[in-house]
Amino acid sequence: MTVLLEAERLCRNFGGLKAVNNVSFQVVEGEIFGLIGPNGAGKTTLFNLMTGLTPVSNGTLRYRGEYLTGLPPHRIAGKGIGRTFQNIRLFKGLSALENIKVSQHVNTNCGLFSGIFCTPASRAEEKMVDEKAWELLKLIGLADRATELAENFSYGDQRRLEIGRALALEPQVLLLDEPAAGMNSAEKHGLTEFIRGIREQFKLTVLLIEHHVPLVMNLCDRIAVLNFGELIAVGNPVDVQKNPAVIEAYLGAE
Amino acid sequence: MDDFLQNNGFLIVTMVQQALLAMSLYYPLMSGQLSLASPGFYALGGYVAAIIGTIEYFAPWRDALGWSIFPLEWLAAGIISGVLAVLVGIPALRLRGIYLALATIAFVEILRVICLNLEITGGAIGIFGVPQLFESRWSYIWTFGPLLILMLFFSYRIDRSRVGRAFKAIREDELAADAMGINPTRYKVLAFVIGAVLAGVVGAMSAPFLNTWNARQGTFDASIAYLAYVLIGGSRSMWGPLLGGTLLAALPEVLRPLKDSRLIINGVVLVFASIYMPQGIAGAVGRIRNFTVRKFGSARSEK
Repeated sequence: MTVLLEAERLCRNFGGLKAVNNVSFQVVEGEIFGLIGPNGAGKTTLFNLMTGLTPVSNGTLRYRGEYLTGLPPHRIAGKGIGRTFQNIRLFKGLSALENIKVSQHVNTNCGLFSGIFCTPASRAEEKMVDEKAWELLKLIGLADRATELAENFSYGDQRRLEIGRALALEPQVLLLDEPAAGMNSAEKHGLTEFIRGIREQFKLTVLLIEHHVPLVMNLCDRIAVLNFGELIAVGNPVDVQKNPAVIEAYLGAE
Repeated sequence: MDDFLQNNGFLIVTMVQQALLAMSLYYPLMSGQLSLASPGFYALGGYVAAIIGTIEYFAPWRDALGWSIFPLEWLAAGIISGVLAVLVGIPALRLRGIYLALATIAFVEILRVICLNLEITGGAIGIFGVPQLFESRWSYIWTFGPLLILMLFFSYRIDRSRVGRAFKAIREDELAADAMGINPTRYKVLAFVIGAVLAGVVGAMSAPFLNTWNARQGTFDASIAYLAYVLIGGSRSMWGPLLGGTLLAALPEVLRPLKDSRLIINGVVLVFASIYMPQGIAGAVGRIRNFTVRKFGSARSEK
């Protein structure tokens, strides 16, 4: 069991608000790690810190022993950390196929001139990018709508497309921010199977923010609970469920 | 036919030239950056060509190289514009939207005032008697025309390449593009430089075409005119700037019989076009095509 991601005394302040306060945890390779907590607990901020979108105020983040703290988002993505967004940030005006092709950027390297002159290297690369994009579209079940613009997809399909786009990075860690939001219960069930499936297929470590408790309990190997920016519990789902601090955060004290 | 070309040659070449300048705005726009710096690089390129073409220092070069001094001028203008674009682009592209537009307008103004006051640029009078490449105005189509075809080819290819996808991803959502591994600064500067090099080369081709070059070539008015080209033509496909540039460059000439009221009609066309064709002419054509395809079935085979 190798530790893949390690957060140590991670802090992020917005003015006087401590959105993430002294959070330390470790994520082990291959696990599905759930992040739960009431609204405004700092879950998304934590994801933003891990992907470099929000600078860390204090503390360190390490991935396979390398510091992520201070790196710009594209460098972190290049190391193999892909993510989706809570409020869906697809490239709306591009087709589903293009959305997935864009994300293969870090694994390809043809520059301006090889692209313009269609050199053999760039043709080979484009072919590879194309095949991979179709493969991923089939995996997420959108292959028959590949040329449609992302903005025309339904909510659930957009969420799946976002996962597909993140997978195109060939990540080792996948951060999913509320993947089940807005899905009906059948779709949620399908999503559980889907996440398990991609973990097996791509040898992923998955971090996931989710509000839907049955889904989290069923899917996650371990769970961390955040409340007002602080980590109040980490452990397997059954223990976390019984933890008095967690019950208090969600239901209030007796 | 000869008469027609003699009379309208200047206008036709100007239409192509303006289409090229409109395209120089298209590349930054492809990566979502509203840059109005093109007139600055256009003026700079023109000065490079005018200076190489007239001052004493380059006289031996001109004698030795003959007409092939002209491609050399284009190359020099392209390189100088490109280098300046990197220097200006890196700090300026930290700004977004309207702030970037303002900064690039400021750049054009700074360059204009510098050129007004330098001796080598001929001060307020400018540079006269820039050597001609061709005898007739119409013949300049042989420089601007091939460049336009080259740029259309360039746009077509870049649209389907890895770099073009990075541009479009940044246009759609810069933050998401960053999180997907694309370095936004790098590609924004690259798009800015491509536009600048094009504007510089067009400037270098225009100095011999216009015979004279002065600080009035790169002004705020020109920034707005080029912006109108892409707004009216459309900024989402390479045909937009081509259509916008050629049509709007021709409009004042076509309306010339109306004398002074032509400027009013010019303005009215701009206003109505931007209200009823928010995606420009190219966007409107695309919508009509999509509509007919949906209505009468697709002839296009899709994968």
